[in-house]
Amino acid sequence: MIEKIKETVKKLFKENKIDIFIGYNEGTLPLRSTPCFITKPEDIEKLVWNSYCSNNLAVYLPRFFVPQQGAKDAKLPRIGILAKGCDGRSIVGLIKEHQIPRENIYIIGIHCGGMIDTKKIKKVDIVAAEEKNDKVLVEDEDKRKVELKKEELLADMCKTCQYTAPVVYDILLGKEKQKTSKEDREAFIKEFEKKPLEERWKYFQEQISKCIRCNACRQACPNCYCKECFADQTKPKWIGPTNDISDVMFYQIGRIFHQAGRCVDCGACVRACPMDVDLRVFTYKLIKDVKEFFEYEAGVSLEENPPLATFKQDDKQEFITEP
Amino acid sequence: MENKIFKLIKKKEILKLLESLTKEYNIFVPIEDNGDARFSEFKSGQDIYWDYRNTKISPKEILFPQAETLFCFGPEAEVKSEEPASGGKGYLIFGIRPCDAKAISLLDKVFGGEDFEDPYYLERRKKTTVISLACNKPQIDCFCTSLNGKPDNEEGADVILFDLGEDILAGAVTKKGEKFIEKQNKWFEDAGQSDVAKKDKIMDLSLKKIKSQIDIQNIKERLDNDFTASFWDEIHQKCLGCGICTYFCPTCHCFDITDEINPKAADSKTPKGKRVRCWDSCMYPLFTLHASGHNPRPTYKERMRQRIMHKFNYCPENYSEIFCVGCGRCVRNCPVNIDLREMLISIESTK
Repeated sequence: MIEKIKETVKKLFKENKIDIFIGYNEGTLPLRSTPCFITKPEDIEKLVWNSYCSNNLAVYLPRFFVPQQGAKDAKLPRIGILAKGCDGRSIVGLIKEHQIPRENIYIIGIHCGGMIDTKKIKKVDIVAAEEKNDKVLVEDEDKRKVELKKEELLADMCKTCQYTAPVVYDILLGKEKQKTSKEDREAFIKEFEKKPLEERWKYFQEQISKCIRCNACRQACPNCYCKECFADQTKPKWIGPTNDISDVMFYQIGRIFHQAGRCVDCGACVRACPMDVDLRVFTYKLIKDVKEFFEYEAGVSLEENPPLATFKQDDKQEFITEP
Repeated sequence: MENKIFKLIKKKEILKLLESLTKEYNIFVPIEDNGDARFSEFKSGQDIYWDYRNTKISPKEILFPQAETLFCFGPEAEVKSEEPASGGKGYLIFGIRPCDAKAISLLDKVFGGEDFEDPYYLERRKKTTVISLACNKPQIDCFCTSLNGKPDNEEGADVILFDLGEDILAGAVTKKGEKFIEKQNKWFEDAGQSDVAKKDKIMDLSLKKIKSQIDIQNIKERLDNDFTASFWDEIHQKCLGCGICTYFCPTCHCFDITDEINPKAADSKTPKGKRVRCWDSCMYPLFTLHASGHNPRPTYKERMRQRIMHKFNYCPENYSEIFCVGCGRCVRNCPVNIDLREMLISIESTK
């Protein structure tokens, strides 16, 4: 698989189709791969593809196209990017929101079998790891080896993936992977919805109180490209800077609601969060609601209008006039 | 070290000892919190997380909290300084790792240095006794030995403890530590030679476990002339611009001060506002945003350079110390696996 990726990237550079390629290199810690930016063809050899390529690379794209950067007639870079299903959906979102020009992005789509959530193997202090087919071989400090099933280590959002490959791409590599149904993916949120209001509110408070306002969730999210986040604005100031629950809640509610109809459930925020806040239960609730109310799913079509950026004359307006 | 007098105490006895000190001190101990370790106020009947590797959030939050009210004010209300929450009690930081204890000694240079004195920090610090717990099991991303640290480093600690299994071996480091042990003498017994030998063996093993070693002896001089070097163009590239590395760092100490207004203040006598200071991060664009709209550090590149330069060039210049203790938190928690060690190696090796 990795050879195919390298081959494709080499070809792209050779044919002068891209200036930069965004992919993954081997990380410095076990079970980690790390994003990389390739401009020199000789670095292509360092590319890797494994079950720890979990970062959503789409997050890096908007910064190459910030209008203020460089001169007016500056030539925009042509970027090649490796995209899993979720990364691909993020890219679609960015194109639709006019943050990146489609013609400048070469999407190497890849059929993804899901990424490992390292937090699921906390009990072993891993010093080395190796992936072999559907198994992961980890080694602890005393050189004890443990074989783990990849399936059991998959991140929650990967376990029930509906889009294992991007819907928009320039070339698609790999073998098709098994997808799950919408019903399977929704199951966890349906369970959560059944809980009484007080319990859900308590859970929200519990989770939010872990947040330390490091902004990793926001920064890891491809959708959070605002030049200045509402949470950072000082004129007017919307939100206090402390880690009191009221400030944190305002920040998180604002951040999560800005994702309505845009979040593709890639899990970048969940993975980035160093405090293990269960953010997905809140973002996914919005995904489900948007699907139910507007029959819309983010990042799966370049043509369909995003519901929250669309107005129809027969839209219900009572919520404005008679709140 | 050679003539250090060691005392011995049973782990179980330590809990009783701490219990007896709750009237005198606000005691902070490592506890298990959501599967990780974190320092928390010691409560009666609570156990200590003895086997913790290191806390996720560094114990700097005890002396330098993430958000702190400096004072309250209002139109007619008196401007009131916030009393430190201790209520006159001392602070006992129990069981912090040697790297974090060293970090406190570095924070002391900033907040209690010759140039500036920070009354809020010093108020707590003066009343603080630091009891460190030597590392038996360093993590794979620990690299304290590259920064003149080691599993039983004593800097910043008043007393250092060694976990021997059932027993804890204690040795005073400072006068304050000596007095502390003296005062609590009834809980301790004299340690035998075999206990000390056992400790030495554990420490030898522990030291060997730190495999991550980087040579950064000349990093300060190296960076003196490197402000415009080409490696800055590359090492920031994958940075997301979150605050994890700085918030988790035990030596990062930058803060932001803002006035919080409470419009619901009932009458003119009730404070209408408060001035709070919060942790800030040089990785945020807002950190250097001027009121004019100009930002001298407009991109990730300048911000990453600032973080490295501050720790490895400006602080050595100002305080004669590198402001990194090799705890590995920034490495461990970075969402995109930016590895400080790797960055330093690439800086050192670039011509």
